[in-house]
Formats: sequence, C-alpha cells, structure tokens
Amino acid sequence: MNLPADRVWKLLNDWKIPVLPMMIASTPSDTVEMARQLGYPVAMKILAPDISHKSDVHGVILNLNSDKEVDKAYLTMMDSVKKHVPDARIDGVLLQKMAEPGLEVIVGVKLDPQFGHVVMFGLGGIFVEIYNDVSFRITPIDKKTALEMVFEIKGSSIIKGIRGKEPVDVEAIVNVITVVSNMIEKHPDILELDINPLIVYPRGAVAVDARILTR
Amino acid sequence: MTLKAIFEPESIAIIGASPSPEKWGHVILENLLSGGYKGDLYPVNPKESSILGRTCYASVLDIPGPVDLAVITIPRSYALQVAEECGKKKVKGIIMITAGFSELGGEGRELEKQLVEIVDRYHMRLIGPNTLGVVNAHIGMNASIISRLPKKGTISFITQSGTLGLALADWTMEMELGLHIVVSTGNKANVDDIHLLEYLALDPKTDVIAMYVEGIKRGREFINAVKRISKPVLAIKTGRSQSGAKAVFSHTGSMAGTDEVYSAAFKQAGIIRVDNIEDLFDSALALSTQPAPQGNRVGIISNGGGASILASDACEQLGLVIPALQDETIQKIKTYIPEFASATNPIDTAGLATYEAYNGIAKLMLLDPNVDAMIVIYVHTVMGDPKLPAHAIVDLRRGKCSKPVIACWMGGTGTEFGIEILKSRGLPNYPLPNRAVNALASLVKHHGFLEKVKK
Repeated sequence: MNLPADRVWKLLNDWKIPVLPMMIASTPSDTVEMARQLGYPVAMKILAPDISHKSDVHGVILNLNSDKEVDKAYLTMMDSVKKHVPDARIDGVLLQKMAEPGLEVIVGVKLDPQFGHVVMFGLGGIFVEIYNDVSFRITPIDKKTALEMVFEIKGSSIIKGIRGKEPVDVEAIVNVITVVSNMIEKHPDILELDINPLIVYPRGAVAVDARILTR
Repeated sequence: MTLKAIFEPESIAIIGASPSPEKWGHVILENLLSGGYKGDLYPVNPKESSILGRTCYASVLDIPGPVDLAVITIPRSYALQVAEECGKKKVKGIIMITAGFSELGGEGRELEKQLVEIVDRYHMRLIGPNTLGVVNAHIGMNASIISRLPKKGTISFITQSGTLGLALADWTMEMELGLHIVVSTGNKANVDDIHLLEYLALDPKTDVIAMYVEGIKRGREFINAVKRISKPVLAIKTGRSQSGAKAVFSHTGSMAGTDEVYSAAFKQAGIIRVDNIEDLFDSALALSTQPAPQGNRVGIISNGGGASILASDACEQLGLVIPALQDETIQKIKTYIPEFASATNPIDTAGLATYEAYNGIAKLMLLDPNVDAMIVIYVHTVMGDPKLPAHAIVDLRRGKCSKPVIACWMGGTGTEFGIEILKSRGLPNYPLPNRAVNALASLVKHHGFLEKVKK
C-alpha cells in the first residue's frame, strides 16, 4: 500500500533523516492558518493516496506568498484534481515551507526478488529521468560503499562543485544513504521508497518529498 | 558431502550407455574413453552385454566395485528409479543429463522435487538435471557431450546455458585456452553456483573462475560467498539490454531493472563483469597468466604509431592511465630508437622491431615506478620478423613483484611464428589492441577488488 504522507514523514523523522517540516490541512481556513505557522513562502501539494504523479493533475503549487494566495490555491487545486481524477480520494493538502534552493538528489529503495533491498542514488530532475545517471548497491550499505555510490555517477563533478560553486555536503548524502539502508533492514515490508528530492546544501541536506510503498 | 566425487571420481557409471552413436549415452562413454580417463568405467544398459568393448551392466546395482559418479542419460520416466538405485549403490554424485524437469514447469517441476528428495535422502550430490555434463581436463574426464577435451589449464568455467555452453567450450579449444573444470549447471536443482564457486575456490588447479550466468539463486548468499574468494571471478550475464521493471510507483522502482541490480551485486561481490564472450575468455587468459598490477598506469610499446594510439584510446575509455615516464627512462629509451621516433609513452619505435630495441625498452619501462603494467604491440610488416620482438619479451626477467605484460602481435601470415613463442612462455597475446586493453582492464579491476572487497 501507498503509505500516507504523515506516516512517511514520521518514519523518516524517527530515523533522524532530516525532513522539511510539513503540515496537513483539509479546509481552506486551516490551510491558511498552517501556512502562517510555517511562514511564507510555502508550497502546497495534494494529499490523495491514489495519485502517484501529483504534478500531472496540477496537484503541486509552489511559492505561495500570502494568505490570499494560499486560500485561492487551495480551491484551484481541489477543482483541478477532482476534474482530472473524479473518483480520487482526497484527504486534504500538504503544506511545506519552500525549501532553500540547493542540489536536488534522489535516494531510493526497491525490493529485488533475487537480491533483496537495493538502494539507488542519483542526481534529481532530468539527470535521473533522462540520463538514467544513477548508482545501485544492495543493502546493507556502509559509509564507504555509500561514498562509492555518490562518486560513481557520471554527474558526480556537480557534487564536488564546478565552476566556482561550493561543493555540497557529501557526508550528509552518505548519512541518508546509510540510514535508509539501516531503516530498510528493520522494515522488510517496504517494497519501494523514493526520497525525491533530497536537497543538499554545502552544509546539510533535507528531504522535501518522499513516498513509500509497503506490502 | 563434497563435490570431489563429481569432479575427481575414481569410478563412473554411464547409465543409459548405448551402442547407437547418435545417443548421448554413447557420445559420453566415447568421450570418456577417448579423453584418457584412468578410473573405472561402467556402462549400464539392461539390453546390452558390452558397449565399445566395455562390459555392460543391467543396473548400477550389478556393478561389482564401488561407483563414485553416475552420469545419467536415460529418459525422464526412469530418472527417479535410477536415482534410487544409485542411492542404494552408495553412489556419491550424479550428473543428470536427462532433461524435461523444472525447465518445463508443471509435472517436470514436481518430478525434479522428487529427484532432489532421493538425492538428499542418500546424501548424494546432483549436477543438473538438464545439464551438458562436466569436464576435468587434468584427469582427462570428459563426462559431457562436448566433442573434444579442452587443453589443460587453470581456468575453470561454470556455464548455465546449454547449447551456448557447448559452443563456448568449442571456442576455448579454438583459442587453445587452457581449462581445468567445465561444468554446465543445468537446472541447479541440488548443486548451484555457490556450491560450485566454493569448490573451485579451494581447488588447487583452478586459478581463475569464468561464469556464464543467466540468473542466480540465493542472491545475498551468492554475494557473500564470492566476497570470500580471492581468485578472480569473471562473469558474463545475459539479458543486459532488458529494460527496467515496469513499476510506476517510484523512480527507483522503474530504474532498478534486473540488469542494474546484477551489476551492483557483482561489484559488491568482487566479480569482474564482462560484456561479451570474447572479453570473458580474453580476460580469463590474462588473469590466469599475469600477476595483478599495483595500479592502473599502463606503459605501451609499439613499432607503429597507429596501433599504440588505438591502445591508448582504449585505455582511456576503460579508466586506465597512460602515465608520463620518468626523465631518466626517456633518456635511456632514446638510445634504442631512431631520433625521429617517440620516446614518450606510448613509445613508438617508428618501425624498429629488433630484439635489442624491444628488450631494452621493455626492461626500462618495467623498471619505471610510474608504470604498473605494460602492453607490447608488434605490427607485422613484410620486412619484419615477429620472432625477434617475441623473444625479446619472453626473455625479460621479471622478479617477484613483477608487473603484468600483455602482448598484441598484429598482422596476417607470418605473425604466428612470433605468437607461438609468446604462448609457449605463457604470455597472453591478442590480435587487436582493444582486446589486449580489455584484458588488462580486467586485471586492474581484480586488483581493485582485492583491495576493496575481498578482505
């Protein structure tokens, strides 16, 4: 089953994987209240367990800067999602403070029938989708192996920092990979997991979106 | 029980031996006889009294002496009964050539289960069913349907594929590649890849293990087993072009296809994955004859600039480095070659292929601390004598901490006189620079695994 967003966040939190705080609301007034608590600008995402690709149904709106924008966004999103997937169950929306820009990477897991859980690492966005520039290792994964994964991808020079850009925090990526590996050993019921994106900064990293499929 | 009875039996029963040359029971008996196997051979067939001059027995139970190994070729419907008789006879190992088991599913799968139960009950070991058989070149045992016995050597080969396995075995003979054990795994109902790897890892006559893999059972145990093996293990895994699994839930799910996962598993196990059959045996040859290099820096000598550029390009593509030589080395190399030739790595002698030049330059290069391995290329010309540079290379004295040397004698008729000299002294030779470089890259990879994975 597709694990609900709040439980995904709780699991990652329990394992001390840094996550971007989120709140869940199911009425326009709650939504505005929570956006204020988080502090502007915020991002809004549809909370519907059956919808895999939120942006395809206009279920993601970024950079909302005021109460008014949030209120309007909520109504627009509900309309649009209902129009695209009329019988989808909608639990409300998920709000997050907009993440600071950084390097987007993906850390994921898949249960392989021959070898068990496999962890994937790659750069986010088109790097993973178009270039398939990713690395894999079978769990358990120690720090040394995680480091190999990071530098095995073709785009690893971006991580090291190119054209005067500061390198990103490799230690933070390695930490997420190894913690995910440990977590999965304790949760063999997880079939698939994506932390996408994990935004990495010169110091630290934060999981902005994640999804987990369990048995 | 160990697999020794299967790979080094003192006596073999061929159950299903036949006087008709088109039957596998005939082919295998003939292969065993012509291979020069010295142990006792017992054909078993209730309808015959003798086959190929050997006394034939009605049942394995009628054989007077002990039987280590039974090679079974009888039809599927008799398989269980015959296995049971083998158990009673205290046969230690079975090679079940007969097909029609789990590979067919349904009834065949059930039959295979029952077969394994019998094998387990009598503490026997079983290769197959649906196998081509087993070869041990050192004891002249060709208990297989492979037509010739391969040349004796130190490479052992585990193959999953049936007919392709046959073709491969034949090909190694064309290449004159020295083999020790060849085993076709068949359905792996009892003995699987892990058992075979563990046996070959301890086998003193095996230096290199080459595998042709279609799929692995017990994935994680497989990784851990190979990690403990310090001998080089090479594998070609088919299905490389297969697209990822059709998962839609996550990116990871759609990208972690079978092939990607195998690549990761092989890396973690320390298996050198090669792309094609040529590369498998080219690499096996280098690994079975050359020491592991201490690094990835390659020195190249050639009598033609084109060939050395091809080799350097191939090196770069595979992550091997063409280092600058030390000044002292360059100065000394200059004394061997014409003024207009290139004394920097890759060395181009500008056509010169004398004993003195090749021997002198190669010596200097091997002494240079910037070089971890060497590729020596000779491009044949009408004027040239391929024997001279070949002697120059085989005469190199290479001490204990020696560096690997790979030869590449290129050209048509006449080259073989040089190649024979190289081969006779155990120097791997390849007809093209990219094949030489591929083989060297495998040596470098194995060294990397010894440092990183196999501890």
